[in-house]
Amino acid sequence: MNAPATATPEARVPELGASDVPVSEVIADAADGERAIVAFLCRECAYSAADAAGNARTPLPPTIRTIMVPCTGRVSPLHLLAALADGADGVYVAGCLEGQCHHRVGNFHALDRVAFVRRLLESVGVEPERASMFTMSAADTPRFVATARGMDATIARLPRLPRS
Amino acid sequence: MPLSARGRQVADGLRGVTSGVSAGVLGCEVVRHDELCVGCGRCVAACPTGAMRQDDWFDPAQLFSAPVESGRGALAVALRRIARHEPSGPFRVPERILTFRGILFSADLCAGCGACVRACPTGAVEACSVPVADVDGASRTPVPAGACA
Repeated sequence: MNAPATATPEARVPELGASDVPVSEVIADAADGERAIVAFLCRECAYSAADAAGNARTPLPPTIRTIMVPCTGRVSPLHLLAALADGADGVYVAGCLEGQCHHRVGNFHALDRVAFVRRLLESVGVEPERASMFTMSAADTPRFVATARGMDATIARLPRLPRS
Repeated sequence: MPLSARGRQVADGLRGVTSGVSAGVLGCEVVRHDELCVGCGRCVAACPTGAMRQDDWFDPAQLFSAPVESGRGALAVALRRIARHEPSGPFRVPERILTFRGILFSADLCAGCGACVRACPTGAVEACSVPVADVDGASRTPVPAGACA
């Protein structure tokens, strides 16, 4: 069983910076039948919370794969859909609390993009719960752990995604 | 006051265009190609008469007709892989999503100025010349196609 990237601080966490990281790289190690959830974490808030969870050796669901983003405003609908198409069973974006984005409105943009992706998924008959958005402060490690476990439980209840 | 060189150029141009053509038929007919539209909204910003409008709704079926190399095409490729059925009807777009809104065009408000054609980065708006009946009844084309774009 692969430990989540957050459990070992020295592990390389893929970063979505100026260039795009192929999301398939992050979920390539998921064995057949194993579910994978891709988490896009804001560098300023959610990533710090995840880092603290890793340092405290808090057990996290093994399905969670993290990608660090400079701001949740960097995540486009295509990142979320490509993750689902490339083998992820769920995706979520975790950013700063509303009104506390370090880039002022990045998390509001992400919120609307996730809502857009959910409506898009719904329109083609896929469960909209596969894409979610959470907000948390940098110190709110318990919330990060709770959302990761919650997302894992949500995805575990859903049927497998048909992929062609 | 004598005209400047640029002024003479403009005046000559105007004479060339207006001779023999009555007012009101100078404009072009604007034709939209939805499959090329990336929804950037530049035509909406450029339109002086409000004939181009951004809608609150988006039809996901539009993604599937987009060219594969475009951003919308990439989205369609990903969506098609996980789709359980063909996309159902249009849905309301969240507030800050500006590039996935339908563009509404009302032909009755259009003045045919071609500002949208010049503003469009993908060539999704095209100006076609409208054949008009001349004074003697013969149908002819006042402006060559695309000349006003």
